[in-house]
Amino acid sequence: MKEIETTHPAIHDFKVDMDKGRITRRQFLRYATLLGMSVAGASQMAGFTWPKKAFAAQKRGGVLKFGMLIQEMADPGTYSWTEKSVVARHIVEYLVETGPDNITRPYLAESWEASDDLKSWTFNLRKGVKWSNGDDFNADDVVFNFTRWLDPKTGSSNLGLFDAMLEETGEKDAKGNPVKRMIKNAVQKVDNHTVRLNLKSPVLSIPENLYNYPTAIVHRNFEKDGGDLSKNPVGTGPYTLSEFRVGELAVLKKRKEPYWGGEVFLDEIRFVDLGQDAGAYLAAIASKQVDGIFALDLTTLEAAKNIPGINVSDIPSTQTGVIRMKVTEKPFTDIRVRKALQKTCDAKRQLDIAHRGLGIVAEHHHVAKIHPEYFALPAFKQDIAGAKKLLAEAGYPNGIELTCNVGNTDGVWEQDSVAVLKEDAAKAGINIKMNVMPTAQYWDVWTKAPLSLTTWTHRPLAVMVLGLAYRTGVPWNESSYANPEWDAALTEAESTLDVEKRRAKMEKVEKILQDDAVMIQPFFRSVFTAVRDNVVGFEMHPTRYFRFHKVSLA
Amino acid sequence: MVTLVIKRIGFMIFTMIIVSLILFLLLETELTGDPAARVLGQFSNEEQRELWREQHGYNQPVMVRYVKWLGNFATGDLGESIRFKGPVADVMLPRLWNTAILGFWTFAIMIPLSLTLGVLSGMREGSMLDRSISVFGILTTSVPEFASAVFFSALFVFGLKWLPGTSSMSGGFEFRQLILPVMVLVVYDFGYVARMTRASMAEVMTSQYIRTAVLKGLPYKSVIVKHALRNALIAPFTVIMLQINWLLSGVIVVEFFFAYKGFGALILEASLNNDIALLEACAMVAVFVAVATQTLADIGYTFLNPRIRFS
Repeated sequence: MKEIETTHPAIHDFKVDMDKGRITRRQFLRYATLLGMSVAGASQMAGFTWPKKAFAAQKRGGVLKFGMLIQEMADPGTYSWTEKSVVARHIVEYLVETGPDNITRPYLAESWEASDDLKSWTFNLRKGVKWSNGDDFNADDVVFNFTRWLDPKTGSSNLGLFDAMLEETGEKDAKGNPVKRMIKNAVQKVDNHTVRLNLKSPVLSIPENLYNYPTAIVHRNFEKDGGDLSKNPVGTGPYTLSEFRVGELAVLKKRKEPYWGGEVFLDEIRFVDLGQDAGAYLAAIASKQVDGIFALDLTTLEAAKNIPGINVSDIPSTQTGVIRMKVTEKPFTDIRVRKALQKTCDAKRQLDIAHRGLGIVAEHHHVAKIHPEYFALPAFKQDIAGAKKLLAEAGYPNGIELTCNVGNTDGVWEQDSVAVLKEDAAKAGINIKMNVMPTAQYWDVWTKAPLSLTTWTHRPLAVMVLGLAYRTGVPWNESSYANPEWDAALTEAESTLDVEKRRAKMEKVEKILQDDAVMIQPFFRSVFTAVRDNVVGFEMHPTRYFRFHKVSLA
Repeated sequence: MVTLVIKRIGFMIFTMIIVSLILFLLLETELTGDPAARVLGQFSNEEQRELWREQHGYNQPVMVRYVKWLGNFATGDLGESIRFKGPVADVMLPRLWNTAILGFWTFAIMIPLSLTLGVLSGMREGSMLDRSISVFGILTTSVPEFASAVFFSALFVFGLKWLPGTSSMSGGFEFRQLILPVMVLVVYDFGYVARMTRASMAEVMTSQYIRTAVLKGLPYKSVIVKHALRNALIAPFTVIMLQINWLLSGVIVVEFFFAYKGFGALILEASLNNDIALLEACAMVAVFVAVATQTLADIGYTFLNPRIRFS
């Protein structure tokens, strides 16, 4: 692997911060690798020794069976479910990979460099990588993907991640938000294997953004060839799709040509859809019908731990349920109503009841204590009297009726969370009617409903999820929140390298978002999964970005 | 008899047309809400809905749309499934086949079992055997499928580890995966058919012609097999025919629980995903099977029971 000879000047500042105890060694590794330093180089600088992974000798061959929902997976750029990307991840690949340790490593890009001002990012693409149709992987593929993601017509959520590559057209959309387009030359082909991103403002998280699940690199002719990965599975990955039936099955077979990324053990990976009953997944893994499952539900967690031969993995994550209020819909156009509802929330009680205490208490701004840029605001406390007062001021002295949609897309804990809020809100005269919807139907309304609980997956940096979910006009801004002051604060935080200054800027980001009362976000939850003990080399990923390249069967 | 069959088939077609009209009015018109909103979601805006209506011909008069819809159905054009991204027929037929397999094995076990137990029970009304069978039948029938599915799973999957926990058949057909769903269905259904058979048999056994046959000295076995059974099985025949209909659409719980990719699970998936075309096709098939089995039951009932005649 090519080592970068030069290091970004900020890495030395990070080293000083680490030496002074302002950041941990792991945080130093994250920042240094984001700025293009190799993991080995950064580890050496930090005096960090990686624990050796003690996997048993890995055997070649075999079929891994994995229980997971199988959904249509036509266009990786518009994915909105992690499950789709788990199948696709073995066919198409990413420029970088953020591992279970939150460290970002080279993947299709073998190295990258950031300019001192973080406005220019140069990615050196790996040479010798071939697409499954025989074409060479090159800069044209990367330029095609960026151009496509940043075209609003594509409908990719990546628009929110790469805002620094967009400019306003001067037009407004139906909701009155500015229409944006990619800045000319924002993605630049330097040569056949070098691509440069030119940003209008500095962004540190560019490499981590490139492992967000809708950023898989598809072939430059993806659209010409039909724009459907499940029908035309051209990729650079070690597997190809041999069978695919929505709601039933996805079968990946190892490609015959040697894989650029080294040895791949499994001959075949079979993803089996077992429906939406958590019990079916537990029964399947208990009776050895599958070797692993995508997610272990809270309702089956304890049972799974007691079944011999099953290894349960859990990991703290920033996955969360956000009970967000649509600020453009009545009564949530009135900030007093939003604040009143927020004040009724007892976050600790929420975590204890809805998620059995397995997670971290949150503070209604979608930044977790485990995010490296987290700034600790004063504790947010339940205030029923304050909620009643605000409600009366807003013109609801006798209380208010609200309907909250919940789809249990990640488990029944979502419904429990709304139920706890319902109880707390009732104390202030807010009567919440729960509308429990089928999962699939929930995704039809998640960006439209006035009040609903949406689950958000783990993102290693808070600025990633904040850019995706709350920046003005981005596709996944489900609350229709639009605050130029907050947008600017986020952009500033994204572009600040100095750890202390960055945290200070995050204070503003968190405070504005909390004060604007866009959401009730009581906790970040731990996530669980299970594999059988015959699975070697499996690592739990906080985002469940499972990748079985280095997994084998005993 | 021929006239009867023709009349019955004619009535069946008429019923299907009425049902199709009701289905059309329910799913394709604004009688029960806006179809555009059903597909696009309750919070879609009017602009999006109008565009959808224009694209899908929903601005034409209702009768024109109905005739067109019926014509498409009759010619096998069932539309495209939103969820499965393909023709509805391609999605539905394999699922129907899977449920047919499940139904076949359920019937293959349930019918001989319930008829035998019902006849044995009815032959000696009030005996210990009769009471045991009756109590057992009532007990199993009153336990809902989701409860017995959990119980059998706990026992055979998690406890004894004899059977696989799900029946997705993802690696091809495997009979072992069919055992638990079939077991749940048989246990739930056999008690009902057995009880009906018992009641019918008990009634026949008290009739005068049986008493005469016994008194004139015919062997008991001959009385049962030659005289009692034919009359006693008329009522269970109708009940069994109705079970075909129940099996087709009533197995949702079992198919969902065991992740079996059958027709019942498909109806559920179509409903949960607002897959209108798929839902319509599934509903029409379910209604067709219901009407067809009813017609067959009527014809068969007449054939078995010479006392019933239609002119």
